[in-house]
Amino acid sequence: MSIKNVINHKGDFLSLLQHANYPLQIDLPSGTPDHGDVEIAHSTTVVVVRYRDGVMIAGDRRATAGTSVIYDRAEKVLQIDKHSVLAISGSPAIAYEIARILEHSFQYFRRSQLQELSLEGKLRMLSRLIRDNLAMALQGIGGVIPIFALYDRDTPEEENGGKIYFYDALGAHFENVNFATTGSGSIWIRGVLRYLSRFGDTPLEAMDERQATITILRLLDTASEYDAATSGYNARAQIFPTIKTITRSGVETLSDEDLTDCYAAAQPESEAV
Amino acid sequence: MRDEPYRWIEAIQDRRDYIEDQLRVGSPVVGLTYNEGMVLLTIGRGQRKIFEVHDRIALSAIGHPADIERLRMLVTDTASVQGFQNATEDVNLHRLTNFVLAHTFKQAFESIVGEAYIIKMLLAELGRTSEHNRFTGINYDGNVRTDAEFSVIGGTESIETGMQNYLAAAPVDADRDLTDAIRLGLEAWAIGRELSSREPEDTESEDVQIDTEQMHEIIAAAREDGEIEAGVLETTQHGTSKFRLLNVKEIETALP
Repeated sequence: MSIKNVINHKGDFLSLLQHANYPLQIDLPSGTPDHGDVEIAHSTTVVVVRYRDGVMIAGDRRATAGTSVIYDRAEKVLQIDKHSVLAISGSPAIAYEIARILEHSFQYFRRSQLQELSLEGKLRMLSRLIRDNLAMALQGIGGVIPIFALYDRDTPEEENGGKIYFYDALGAHFENVNFATTGSGSIWIRGVLRYLSRFGDTPLEAMDERQATITILRLLDTASEYDAATSGYNARAQIFPTIKTITRSGVETLSDEDLTDCYAAAQPESEAV
Repeated sequence: MRDEPYRWIEAIQDRRDYIEDQLRVGSPVVGLTYNEGMVLLTIGRGQRKIFEVHDRIALSAIGHPADIERLRMLVTDTASVQGFQNATEDVNLHRLTNFVLAHTFKQAFESIVGEAYIIKMLLAELGRTSEHNRFTGINYDGNVRTDAEFSVIGGTESIETGMQNYLAAAPVDADRDLTDAIRLGLEAWAIGRELSSREPEDTESEDVQIDTEQMHEIIAAAREDGEIEAGVLETTQHGTSKFRLLNVKEIETALP
């Protein structure tokens, strides 16, 4: 890059990458058959709930290709900046790339424009990345349906600034008020989330961190029971689901010690460990 | 003109005089290391002068705002693309200054029919360990200078020498905290300001001869129509981005 081709600056990282000839889309040759027997890594159950202090985001750790489990330590809950997290389901290769572009875009906007990208700006950026990936999604090999969770610091102190956005394959975003879930295991727990949110003893939004963690571990356990592409807790290898929280003070990852403790509390009394 | 070497040298000298004359009144910038990172500071009048370039790299400059902005974008863009295409750890200040900036500065300065950049830049890079912290200064003609403990940019070479002498004479203290670093930095800034306010022929003498009290008066006077601006690269920051601008409260606790 030289001074002569410094681009016009709107803080747009995607134009910068295009300018540097970075291929943002993979162009498949025309006539490429549907993926058929190509086994692409897929995954997942991710679940996001709004709890008392903000938002809690969780994902299991299994990645599968066809009927094979190819990896049991996959990270599907990715921190994007100090107050936002992307939870991914679908093709991990594309999802990681989207997460990385998103992270760099937010940083580039801040560094070049000397202010943080607005909440709306962040949502649109993700929309654009998902829409640009449509061709791959239609081929059946690179679809990504993420949930984007963030904490809006402009919310008054006494209110919960946690926000959850759900995207479709075309990049439209919808705000989910109390919870969202996606991935192959999500169908098994969506109804449970609705039930808990509406009829539970403690509504999701009133739960403290520990209660929310226990609830989420139980939900993932339920999903893994019925969905082969979702892993539960692997006691032998000590592999826990990833759980992150976003509060006014930023993103935190729950430690294995916290999870061990909550996992014990999440079991039915008859199976207490 | 190009085939007459004498006139070319003369034109370059004229250019140098012109640029230095423009830079002379610029508010100096001081860079210092402290126990938890590096700080860049100055006193400015509205225009922001300290910027984040990448995860561990910060930039400040004196000169024409349009030139500063253009070159700041050049280095920010280059670092951002490199950091994305490889990994953020692969971005390093040496390449950015020697390969991207120095070359651009030199070319603009020596093509005497084109515009020259009226600029002096100071960049800081937070190393993986404190021994690897680096300040790099780039002059408008593309000359690069690297320092480890502290560095300054000021309007002329003698202003810079005066400020550097003051910083070099300060007691070496590996445990110096941010407050002490800001205080020392502001004192060096005051020396730079004092030297730049003198007539050009007087600044040739780097012997400043002002005491601490006078320095504090200069700082107080500068704050009446300007603001202290300070940015840090701090090892204690969570996450990969280490840069942050200090807020007014943090700066004020360091004031004499």
